[in-house]
Amino acid sequence: MKTILRSQDLTCPSCTGRIEKSLKACDGVHDARVYFSTGRIEVQHDPGRATADDLIKAVRMAGYTATTGTLR
Amino acid sequence: MNRIFDRIVHTAQHRFGLVVLSGTLIIMGFAAGWLAGLAALRDVLLLAAVLIAGAAIATRAWHGIRCHQVTIELLVTIATAGALLIGDYWEAAAVTFLFMFGTHLEASMLTRTRHALAQLLESTPSSVIVLRAGHEVEVKPEAVQPGELVLVRPGAHISVDGTVIQGRAAVDESAITGEPLPVEKFEGATVYAGTVSQDGLLWLRATGVGDDTTLARIVHWVEQAQEEQAPTQRIIERFARWYTPAIIMLSAVFFLWTWNTELALTLLVIGCPGALAIATPVPVVAGIGRAAQRGMLIKGGAHLETMARISALALDKTGTLTEGKPRLTHLESLQSISSSGRRAPEPWTKAEQDMLRWAAIAESGSEHPLALPVLAAARMLGPVSHADQFDTCAGRGVRATYQGHTIGVGTQRFMGELGIPIGSDVEERLARLGETGTTAVLVARDGRALGILGLADTQRGMASGMVRRLRDLGISRIAMLTGDDRRTAEFIAGQIGIEEIHGSLLPDGKLALIRQMQNDGHIVAMVGDGINDAPALAAADIGIAMGAGGTAIAAETADIVLMTDDLLKVPEALAIARATVRNIRQNVTIALVTAAALLAGVLFGRVGMAGGMLMHELSVLVVVANGMRLLRAGRGVIADGVALPRVAPRADSVLS
Repeated sequence: MKTILRSQDLTCPSCTGRIEKSLKACDGVHDARVYFSTGRIEVQHDPGRATADDLIKAVRMAGYTATTGTLR
Repeated sequence: MNRIFDRIVHTAQHRFGLVVLSGTLIIMGFAAGWLAGLAALRDVLLLAAVLIAGAAIATRAWHGIRCHQVTIELLVTIATAGALLIGDYWEAAAVTFLFMFGTHLEASMLTRTRHALAQLLESTPSSVIVLRAGHEVEVKPEAVQPGELVLVRPGAHISVDGTVIQGRAAVDESAITGEPLPVEKFEGATVYAGTVSQDGLLWLRATGVGDDTTLARIVHWVEQAQEEQAPTQRIIERFARWYTPAIIMLSAVFFLWTWNTELALTLLVIGCPGALAIATPVPVVAGIGRAAQRGMLIKGGAHLETMARISALALDKTGTLTEGKPRLTHLESLQSISSSGRRAPEPWTKAEQDMLRWAAIAESGSEHPLALPVLAAARMLGPVSHADQFDTCAGRGVRATYQGHTIGVGTQRFMGELGIPIGSDVEERLARLGETGTTAVLVARDGRALGILGLADTQRGMASGMVRRLRDLGISRIAMLTGDDRRTAEFIAGQIGIEEIHGSLLPDGKLALIRQMQNDGHIVAMVGDGINDAPALAAADIGIAMGAGGTAIAAETADIVLMTDDLLKVPEALAIARATVRNIRQNVTIALVTAAALLAGVLFGRVGMAGGMLMHELSVLVVVANGMRLLRAGRGVIADGVALPRVAPRADSVLS
């Protein structure tokens, strides 16, 4: 399943890698991409093992806030 | 404890609270130190300010270390810790406060830039009225099922894509097309989510809801375009990769050499390539966002940069420079005494109107492309009767009977077959019409020629304006490519002001011409709309597809898609692209000059830690603010291009 998160916290392109790493370290996350330009976070995950809330927590672990997005 | 810490540190609103709190503590600290002379209280207050602002920075720094990354936050944390160790509480407080405050401002400015488009989605209403089991029910927009009937009241935002089942309204579609003028929507018309009904009441059958609307697709597509890295960005990131470690090395070397802790820490503070890192992404996001608001989809930073450099433009004729549909342009009765021939919009004489009616009756059952404009013109005069019987002769004309009269509409040769005499003066007129690229047909009734109808594919209203503006922008070579024969093409090209014409081209011929222009040293943009333009669009450095009436394949191949038929969008896209690239250059310059000045300032002992951080954050904010100017780009170019003849946009053909 693909979930889109959005963050308004990204102020420097180098932070994307850290958020991606934090997400990928989560159990049940297959892949994660963070886009600095749009603040969009795209996560491929197994919703049974990692819920949207878990994803938001993982982003928070890296020091950033995110909310679940509506757009694709 | 962990939880509370988590709470404090991590929400954006709280972060602003932290900034305010830390700032207040700093002021209080100063007041205590200066006014009351309580140095100890001052230091305690400053230390509190550091801890409050610094906790969030340290969290990110720590996470960075775990990811084996040297982050800007790590540098700031080390510098702050160092400052605290040497007892300089004021510097430590100033650095953390300025960094947090700068980051907060930057984040809110970036959010505004990123949301130039997304806010359109948020403007859709929170509830809609649907018809369920005969009752009007209010539901959330995403709860509407495709196929359901949706009611749109006057003045309401439309929240689904749909087809008008009943009603009429002027709809503001600027969210989709960038066109400010509203479009009349009747039964059978397609309406889009994100548009606004201005006056009438509409019943729609929903075809797309939620994320499956044209607007959502556009926003998604624009975001993908914004996410694509511009070539300049890649160069900068390569630079940034060694810049930060190099500064850390420099700082260490200076420390070991001079044992000047303050200088070494200050170097760390200015060692973050903050302004440089965002010098490119911000203008790209703003430029692409602005273009999208104006009805132009630029598919990424790379295309934006190439578009800014084009030196030649190739244009398809049919459907791009012209409307792509024949129109009745000429009506000439052979009955009236002084018939000099008229352009269609001028008032027609009684004899001309009669001739048109007869021709329309004969064509009433025909599906021929040339029959449609004749019927359309005749219907403006009133209802058209159906022929009692008709007979189509492919490629030559149509013969029909109506209330005992025989009607013939067709070529000169067809008239000959019907035994209708044509004078030499008429032949001359036909030849003259042919020179202007007009297809002429004769109308005859009961064995006598009534007159001539001229049908032509006319140029789009803004075609010559576009060419003029492109020349003003320095595009010297503008060529017309067409599959039509040269004579037809020449007439249109002359009207538009294009000198270079290439006629009778097959799709691969268009491609060959693009290659030839590239071999001449040009960076070529190609504007087209049809499947036959796709190879040329792909071969050109920049392919521009016309949205309205355009085919999906052309839009897919293209690098820039225009949502409307408005040709003035071509120079506008060029202006936005150039403005964006100019903006990137300004930003890179600002970033590099600031970095160099700071480095020199620190090495010569003129800039301290707090001052360095202030300059650093200021340069970041200047760069973001400069990029945001692009959200208003292109105004100068479009100022005198408003009030265009209204064309019905067909965004669906591009994005479905």
